[in-house]
Amino acid sequence: MASKTARPRTYSQARQTFSTSAELGWWVFMRISGLFLVFLVGAHVFINNILVDAGTIDYQYAAQRLAQPGVKVFDSFLLGFALLHGVNGLRYSIEDYFKRPGTRFWLKTILFVVAAGIFVVGVMTLWAFSFEEMGDAIRNLTPPQ
Amino acid sequence: MYRGREGQWAFFLHRISGVALALYLLLHVFDISLVMFGPDGPFNAFLFFYHQWPFRVGLVLIIAAVTYHALNGLRIILMDFTGWGVKYQRAMWYTVLALVTAIGIPVLFKIVPEILKGGA
Repeated sequence: MASKTARPRTYSQARQTFSTSAELGWWVFMRISGLFLVFLVGAHVFINNILVDAGTIDYQYAAQRLAQPGVKVFDSFLLGFALLHGVNGLRYSIEDYFKRPGTRFWLKTILFVVAAGIFVVGVMTLWAFSFEEMGDAIRNLTPPQ
Repeated sequence: MYRGREGQWAFFLHRISGVALALYLLLHVFDISLVMFGPDGPFNAFLFFYHQWPFRVGLVLIIAAVTYHALNGLRIILMDFTGWGVKYQRAMWYTVLALVTAIGIPVLFKIVPEILKGGA
């Protein structure tokens, strides 16, 4: 299962291992974005799975959250870091387990097209539509948290 | 079969949890984006479909994957950027497993009754 190529274990090894500065950049990015994501995803999971019963989440809950500017900004960072970190991780996996150049090319093409589409859809959800009306209606019904 | 030592198991679990989380992320953003179609759109139908118990068990596994991937990721960062990380990587991996268990038990106590109750 493990890749045959030696994996760099320190920053100086990483600098010697990668042929391009772009690959070294992704290696560093995975660690920095990973550190941010520990807090971003941790808070996201805690709010939506521990503070509430995830089995009761519905349109009103989602619209009420997406109406809040703080949630829009927080989720934008979450969306950007998680997609870049996740898609680059999937790219590593494709390159580890698929050796035929044609297979690699098509799998990566499909991955990048799907990921770009999901990014656009995610940004639209966060910024293109106003959920203010629904948000105000919900806040007037329920006591402030 | 896979007969590696701790480091290989740590890598293997990091890899499968990471792939699962990345695929879940793509599906999750798509699902939530359906909120754009408004209160009478397909959002509730999709979400209520996922409130069925097999998907809620799946969500518990996603939370477990998040917890392991995050903590083992911190272990990787310590291995890569400190002088002592590699020396203590095995002890740190068992610490990761202990923390996943310590976080997982109260989470299960909170969520399993909700699943048994049947949700919305």
